[in-house]
Amino acid sequence: MSENQNQPVQTVNAAQLGDLTRSELKQLETKEKTAMEKTLETVTLALPVVCGIVALLEYLLLPNYARNYDPFTYVYVLCAFIAAYIIYLAVGVIRRKAGNFATYEKVHYRAPLFAALFLFLAVYDYLTLKTGTLTQPFVPCMNFILNAFLKDYMMLIDCTINTLKLLFIGYTIGVSLGLVTGITCGYSKKARYWVDPVIKFLGPIPTSTWVPVTMVVAGSLFGGAVFIIALGSWFAVTVASMTGIGNVDKDFFEAAETLGASKRQMVFRVAIPHAMPSILQGCTQAMSSSCVALMIAEMLGVKSGLGWYMTWQSGWASYDKMFAALFVICFIFTIVTKCLERIKRHVLRWQNGGEK
Amino acid sequence: MDKKVVLKLENVSKSFAKVESDEVTHALQDVNVTMESGEFVSLVGPSGCGKSTILRLVAGLITPTLGKVSVDGVEVEKPSPNRGVVFQKPTLFPWLTVEKNIAFSLDMQGKLKGNEDKVEHMIKMIGLENFKDDYPAQLSGGMAQRVSLVRTLINEPEILLLDEPLGALDAFTRMHMQDEILNIWSEKKQLALMVTHDVDEAIYMGTRVLVMDANPGRIIADIKIDESFPRDRSSASFVEYRNDILNKLHFAGKKNK
Repeated sequence: MSENQNQPVQTVNAAQLGDLTRSELKQLETKEKTAMEKTLETVTLALPVVCGIVALLEYLLLPNYARNYDPFTYVYVLCAFIAAYIIYLAVGVIRRKAGNFATYEKVHYRAPLFAALFLFLAVYDYLTLKTGTLTQPFVPCMNFILNAFLKDYMMLIDCTINTLKLLFIGYTIGVSLGLVTGITCGYSKKARYWVDPVIKFLGPIPTSTWVPVTMVVAGSLFGGAVFIIALGSWFAVTVASMTGIGNVDKDFFEAAETLGASKRQMVFRVAIPHAMPSILQGCTQAMSSSCVALMIAEMLGVKSGLGWYMTWQSGWASYDKMFAALFVICFIFTIVTKCLERIKRHVLRWQNGGEK
Repeated sequence: MDKKVVLKLENVSKSFAKVESDEVTHALQDVNVTMESGEFVSLVGPSGCGKSTILRLVAGLITPTLGKVSVDGVEVEKPSPNRGVVFQKPTLFPWLTVEKNIAFSLDMQGKLKGNEDKVEHMIKMIGLENFKDDYPAQLSGGMAQRVSLVRTLINEPEILLLDEPLGALDAFTRMHMQDEILNIWSEKKQLALMVTHDVDEAIYMGTRVLVMDANPGRIIADIKIDESFPRDRSSASFVEYRNDILNKLHFAGKKNK
């Protein structure tokens, strides 16, 4: 009897099970939450807002240790963050009412992280602006960093564009060449004979070692930076696609052969698709090595871009601007990695087709 | 079948060198056999008797050390969609959907345009209409092997080579698919050559059973199964065939010890 009471949806009978969607099924199979769990869920969802308000009050009410300029930038940003979370939550709740639980569950899953972010901001502000435990201006408070953004955003955008240009030119060249060499070497023993020693010789050398050499040898700094970035990604992609193609099961080639595939088709229609997981893994690796090479190049020689901006500003003791650039860098790299991840998931959708 | 083909193996020997040593194994020694369209030939024997080697020679995946494999007098040199192979592993391309796997062969030969209905017909034949957009990872073993079978059949091969196609399936799926394969074969009566290690299966499906033995690999008996389809696994004549073949294999095994 008590089991019956725990069934949340009693209107469904066995004959109707055929029309269930995935989330409805999940809903049907989960037991109804106890009062305790329900309260906990509400608290979790409210936590980011509470922590956001704590951060706001901490900033507004506690006396400042150091002088503060344009104090409301931080307040606006905090409020915007809190508002964004509330909208996100509202969308989740509204969709849940309409029978779509996905967004709501995501909000619920992420809420503790958002709360932690607000708490982190509060603690950071307390340690910098309010008590000076982290010495000003070397570790500037969030308000300063935000103001630096506002003051210098034209320059930051300019630097961002330069950085992205360098990154993508280098990365594209490196990845394309890497694909060509990797696939050729994976398939042809002769090509591997010539390329293998080069890879074995160049492989263990870290990218940063090349910076001083190329800065001297290359005609332009830009060209030198492109070369360094391309070299790193070329290496990663070559090795990954070579192993990927080398690992293709012989059975697939035999099957393709008996089905009438030509030599060319065996490369492009069997070997490459089969090696795709490995190739994409190489591309992701190439991106992270490109990012490292890019920053090194910009900090050591290239006279533009975010890396250069950071060194330049720290030279002027403008640590707030330096931090602003650092945030932009983090943001860009996060987005780029996320994009690569998306592409990978789409191309390799056959891999997680589900097990039976 | 509109065209009759004759498959001939004349004095065929095949030896393999071992990878690690200079030793050479003789997988086949002096095999002579002729088969033609309308036959369903089962190759049965213990492992190492070279039955798969015969199949791979006919497919053109390997070439004989000595002798000649020919179809209608033309020597077999390389694989062709005309001699379709169904392997023990389904070897479906995991990055292609069921539909695209079946269409693979036509696509490779540039014949897909205008033949989409053929693909559809094949999907219907194995009853996987609901799975045509799924990837092989989502299929059960039996389903995957069915797809693999029609992926080969779509070329309407004159010779159908089956390399233990049902070896990895459970007993029920296996019996079910034996009938399915026989049904498909009886439509066109192409020459079918099936390797199996299951004597019952060899008798149940074959119009002719070639019994093989190892060391060196050779054919020790060529038995015609004179019974109409569908066959009764428990009939007296079936049991007699089985005993006959088992006897041959058993004695052969003892003699070698």
